[in-house]
Amino acid sequence: MDLSTKNVLVTGASRGIGAAIATAFAAEGAAVAINYLSNEDAAAATVARCREAGGRAQAYAADVTDGDAVRTLAETVLADFGHVDVLVNNAFRAYRFDAERRALFWELEWEDYQAQFEGAVKGAHGLIRALLPSMRARAAGGIVNVASDLVARPSIPYHDYTTGKSALVGFSRNLAAELGPFGIRVNCVAPGLVYPTEASAQTKETLKEQLIAQTPLRRLARPEDVAGPVLFLSCDWSGFMTGQTLYVDGGLVMG
Amino acid sequence: MGEVIRAGWLPGFDEAEVGWETLTFTRAGPPVAVEVPVLDAAQIARLAATVRKGAREGLKSRGTAEIVDIVDAAIHRLLDRDDPHRRALDSLLPAITGYDAEMVRVGLTDYLKTFRKPQLTRFLAEDFANPGLLDGFQPTPKGGYARAHGPELLAHVWAGNVPGLPLWSLVSGLLVKAGSIGKVASAEPLFAGHFARLLAEVEPTLGAALGVVWWRGGEGESEAALLAEADVVMAYGGNEALADLARRVPITTRFLPHGHKISFQVIAREALDTAKAWNSAHEAARDIVAFDQQGCYSPQCVFVEAGGALSPREFARALAHELSAFESRFPRRPLDVGEANALAGWRHGQEMRGLAGAEVEVVGGGEAAWSVAFTGTADALDPSVLNRTIRVAAVTDLADVVACVAPRRAYLQSAAIAAAPERLFPLAEALGSAGVTRITALGRMSVLEAGWHHDGRFNLLDLVTITEIEAAAELAAEDLADYLA
Repeated sequence: MDLSTKNVLVTGASRGIGAAIATAFAAEGAAVAINYLSNEDAAAATVARCREAGGRAQAYAADVTDGDAVRTLAETVLADFGHVDVLVNNAFRAYRFDAERRALFWELEWEDYQAQFEGAVKGAHGLIRALLPSMRARAAGGIVNVASDLVARPSIPYHDYTTGKSALVGFSRNLAAELGPFGIRVNCVAPGLVYPTEASAQTKETLKEQLIAQTPLRRLARPEDVAGPVLFLSCDWSGFMTGQTLYVDGGLVMG
Repeated sequence: MGEVIRAGWLPGFDEAEVGWETLTFTRAGPPVAVEVPVLDAAQIARLAATVRKGAREGLKSRGTAEIVDIVDAAIHRLLDRDDPHRRALDSLLPAITGYDAEMVRVGLTDYLKTFRKPQLTRFLAEDFANPGLLDGFQPTPKGGYARAHGPELLAHVWAGNVPGLPLWSLVSGLLVKAGSIGKVASAEPLFAGHFARLLAEVEPTLGAALGVVWWRGGEGESEAALLAEADVVMAYGGNEALADLARRVPITTRFLPHGHKISFQVIAREALDTAKAWNSAHEAARDIVAFDQQGCYSPQCVFVEAGGALSPREFARALAHELSAFESRFPRRPLDVGEANALAGWRHGQEMRGLAGAEVEVVGGGEAAWSVAFTGTADALDPSVLNRTIRVAAVTDLADVVACVAPRRAYLQSAAIAAAPERLFPLAEALGSAGVTRITALGRMSVLEAGWHHDGRFNLLDLVTITEIEAAAELAAEDLADYLA
């Protein structure tokens, strides 16, 4: 697919899934703005990989849950790129995925939910608000929000995290209804356990095996697996789809 | 090229005293240089004297239980992913062997678990009804007393097919209180030295009980010196190299070779019903993927019984998909030219058999990092070209497998069997008679049980000599007592 005319902003793109998405866009010729929180070296490495893959790329540090930082990020990217065709909200609030030592419901405070809600929805909300005028002016745009298959099947009940991601799915559907008339599409990609990433580095082999045993395609997702559906939802091949959630988990969730 | 890494362990030597040769590894990408120590004959003799003394002072003076505790402490260090030695092994072993880093990490942890205290205790119990024999004379049922002595100097010649292999014989040596000098393989020279260094950190007095050296295969001086010094020689490798070595081992020295082996899988129709077939394929693939089939325990053929919900041919296709899925998790290492040619030749050979009218189906194209061929007839077990290459052979009945493997008697080792209990035991009986020494579950072929009998032999008993005080000696001594009665 030729994306050489597309400008893309991917949040949380220095490592893991975000970096794989950014690299995949670059490999199709897109210009990619790589947002990261603090790991400058990792962001620089992703930029280098994107350029190697044949795309243009630039790194931008910003905490996407910080309103001011988001506005600055949007302004800088728009100034550098002219406009943004595709926004991929991939960043999320740091979370410890540990099936054996996760917090039980009655150990969680409301603030834990609040933090994850903000990590998932506030980041997306702020950037979309900041980029929307430019997208509306062009009467085109694609927004892909990265959720989790846990929203449909809490294999492990990470209450606060999954509630935040569920909110992101609801947020996206409302937004799809609102922005459809302007030619802007909003969809979600919901991966299962993705390995290896920093968040999943400590996942035990026994848990991986349990998930694999129930997964029709018989393996876990790799970061690159998530990139394909994101690219699909970003380009004309999915031009008549909005408000959808694509599960990228080898068939663990079907729906 | 990054910093140079030094392998080996030379108690009593200044590093500048010995020669160092550089081995360069390029299979996994950026070259990695490892310097290995080369000792001349006189230096080997000196190292042997140091290690004998080190073993007398550090091992023979200790009870077996204490040695178990020390090894257990060292193994727990290695089980900790944040320990500096473990971190070094996790990064260096993939870099030099080319094996996928995840596979090495997961495989190493599984392997190390075999050497914790409960497993070491089992190891001892497996070979000695009374492990106290290793610490002092114990009464024997026939009368009199017996005591087991490990060798003063145990020589190891290691192979490099699977990382961590030296640990079996090193730990076996420690448990029988033998001083050890091992020659590392050029393909994997790092693990043994790391373990020796770690052991010395855990218990400094054991540092001089081990030595780790290297020499180029076929260079006689160092090898001859070590063979002359050793009481027992354990060697791993190809049969030709072992035969060559055997000719040079003095007749008075015990020689324990572990040569080429062939292992295989057997899947009964009851493991291929609509609920279990997928798991059977998954576990079968796990064994094939482990260390890219380079272990002596790695399956080289799967015999699949007809009559299950999944036919043998369908099983071959499910197995191929499982191998694809594992490729995403534990990618196969890059092949060298020889391996790639062997693999292409194998595929071509299978396809030719199909064209010649045999019932053969080569699954998938040649671009995948695995190769599966289905054959409708149960032919003799032939060696695979490895690197995730497997033949799925249909059999009409499990019992047919025996005739297929029997011609390979001298080479047989592990068989993974998925069958109901009433079929498992008769099949095990027949396979055992045909030469198979280990029967395990699908998916467990690469995870050896603590205290297993390697190639059907005793890991510890084969190392020791028994000294007996016969009942007559005890009785005669009574007469010489000084007591007044």
